[in-house]
Amino acid sequence: MAHLSRRLFLRNSGLAVAGAGVMSQVPFLSSLVGAGEADAPAAAGAADAATAGTDEGAASLAQPLVAHVRDLSTGEIGIFNGTREVIVNDPQLAARLFHAAR
Amino acid sequence: MSSHREAPEISKDPVADSSDLYAFVSPDNPETLTIIANYIPLESPDGGPNFYEFGTDVLYAINIDNDGDGEADISYLFEFQSETTNLDTFLYNTGPISSLTDPNWNRRQTYTVTEIKQDGQMTVLGAGLPCPPCNIGPLSTPNYESALADPAIKTLSNGMTVFAGQRAEGFYVDLGSIFELGVLRPFAADHILSNLLPTMAGINATKALNVHSIAIQLPIDHITRHKRMPTNPARPESVVGIWTTASRQAATVLPSTPKANGSSVYAGPWVQVSRLGNPLINEVVIPLSQKDFWNHEAPQSDVQFAQYVSNPELARLLPVLYPGVFPKLAAYNAASTPSRADLTAILMTGIPSGVVPGFQNFTGTVQADMLRLNLAIPPATASSTLPSNLGLLGGDVAGFPNGRRVFDDVVTIEIQAIAGATLGLVDPSFTPDKAAGAVNQGLTSSGTDLTAIGTENYLPSFPYLGVPHSGYFTPAS
Repeated sequence: MAHLSRRLFLRNSGLAVAGAGVMSQVPFLSSLVGAGEADAPAAAGAADAATAGTDEGAASLAQPLVAHVRDLSTGEIGIFNGTREVIVNDPQLAARLFHAAR
Repeated sequence: MSSHREAPEISKDPVADSSDLYAFVSPDNPETLTIIANYIPLESPDGGPNFYEFGTDVLYAINIDNDGDGEADISYLFEFQSETTNLDTFLYNTGPISSLTDPNWNRRQTYTVTEIKQDGQMTVLGAGLPCPPCNIGPLSTPNYESALADPAIKTLSNGMTVFAGQRAEGFYVDLGSIFELGVLRPFAADHILSNLLPTMAGINATKALNVHSIAIQLPIDHITRHKRMPTNPARPESVVGIWTTASRQAATVLPSTPKANGSSVYAGPWVQVSRLGNPLINEVVIPLSQKDFWNHEAPQSDVQFAQYVSNPELARLLPVLYPGVFPKLAAYNAASTPSRADLTAILMTGIPSGVVPGFQNFTGTVQADMLRLNLAIPPATASSTLPSNLGLLGGDVAGFPNGRRVFDDVVTIEIQAIAGATLGLVDPSFTPDKAAGAVNQGLTSSGTDLTAIGTENYLPSFPYLGVPHSGYFTPAS
C-alpha cells in the first residue's frame, strides 16, 4: 500500500503535472479519507508529452502504474499511479493498448 | 455490529467493514474523548490458523467535524503492516506468545497513525505500533491482557492513547430474530405470524464473538473548534460530529504468482468503501439500491438520503408486522407522507436546544450522518437510574444519541424512536403508542442493566471493550 508520506509528495507533484497539460484534481482530505475517487476532469485532445512517454528516460517507476481504458471511441484512459488518478483522452493511445491486448 | 454486512459489496469485504462506532467522554478521565471504531464483524474466536487481522491494503480513518459542516476538520488515519517471521510453518505461533516480541509469534501486525487537519497539516504521530495477537487460548496466548493487550496500548506524541487489535464484541443484538421478518422474541405473540414462533427472551447473537477495534483516547481540547475544554453544554462549539471510514485504492492487480508476504499491486486514489456514524443507519434505514453508494459518500452530502430518515421503511412496517400494537403510528403514517423531524434531528442534525430540557447536540442545518457528542456533558454519575443503557430515552444525557457508549442499547433506542417514542418531542399533537416506549429486544432486564449476557466483559478503562474471547474456551456456536 502506498504510504502517506508518499501521498503528500504526490499531492505536490500533481500540481506540476496539471500544469503540464493533463488536468487532474489532486485529492486531499475529502477524497483522501472521505468520499470517492478523485474526480479528474478529462483533458480535451491528445495527451501531453509526459503521458505520451517522451520523457521516460528521466522517469522511474517508483509506484505501480495501472491504466484503465474506459472508452475506445473517446480514448478515455484512467491512469492510476501512486494515490492519484489522471484521466487522459487519447484515442490513439487507447487503440494501441487495445491492440496490444489482443 | 450496528453496521455489519449492511451493504452488498462491503459484506464481501469484512476487513474494511466498519461494524460499530463509539464516542464518549471517558468516564475515568473526563478531560479526554474516547472513540472506538470496530471492523471485521462476526469474528469466531477459533477462526484459525490464519487468525483475523486488519487489512494492509485498507486506509482506516476516524474523522471529526468540529464546526458542523459535515466535513472532517481532523482525521486520524491508520495504516497496517503485516509480517510473517517464520515462513516454514503453517502455525500462527510455534509456542506460547508471552510478549509482543516473542519469536514464537509468526504473524504479527504493526501500524502507523497519522493526523491530518483540514488545512493540510499532516503529522505522523506514531509508526511501528504493535497490535496484539488474537486470543487463541491459554497455551498460545497466556496472560492475554497483561502480557499482550496492555503492552499494545501506546501514548503518542500529541498525548493521544491508541490501541488497535482484537476485542470482545460489545454490541448486543438479537440478529436471528430481527432479520426474521422483524420479530422481537419477547413480543412474538403480537407479531402477524405469531402462530409460527414462540415468545421468549432475546438471544444475543454476538455474545461469543470478537471484533477488531481501533481505539483512541485524546485530550478534548485538542479537537474542539477553539482548542478549549468546553464547559457549557448549550454552546455550539461543545458539539462534535464523528464518523469512521475505510478506503481502498481504486486499482488492484493480483499477482500471477502469489508470494508469502503478498505481492498484489495497488494503485490510484483512495475510494471509500465503508462509512459509519450513527448505528444502524445504513443497515436498516438506507434501501438496498443505495447502500453501497451511501458507503461511498461523505456525510456532507447526506441530504440526498434525508427522505429515508424522515420516512423510514421500518416505521411503516411496524404497524403491519404488529397489527393493533401501533395504532397511533399507523394513523400518523396514513395521514400524510411522514416527515419525521424527530429522527432527522436525532440522526442528521443533532437535537436543538429546547427539545430536551438542558440538552442539545445540534451541529447546524447541514444534514449529515455523524455520531454527535456534546463534550461539555460529563459522564453519568452512578445512581439508581444512571447510567441508563437507553441513553437519552432513559433520561441519561451522556448516552446515545449523545455520542454512544459501549453499553448503550442502541437497537432498542432506535426501535423505540422509530416506533414513535420521540415524535411527540417535535409534534406535540402526537401521542406515542404505549408500545413505543416498551418495545425492546429483550437482552437487558432494565435500563440500568449493564451486565446482561454479552455485556459483562466491558472494562472500566481504555480500551473499554473487553478481553477477546479465546478460541479454545469459546467454540463457534
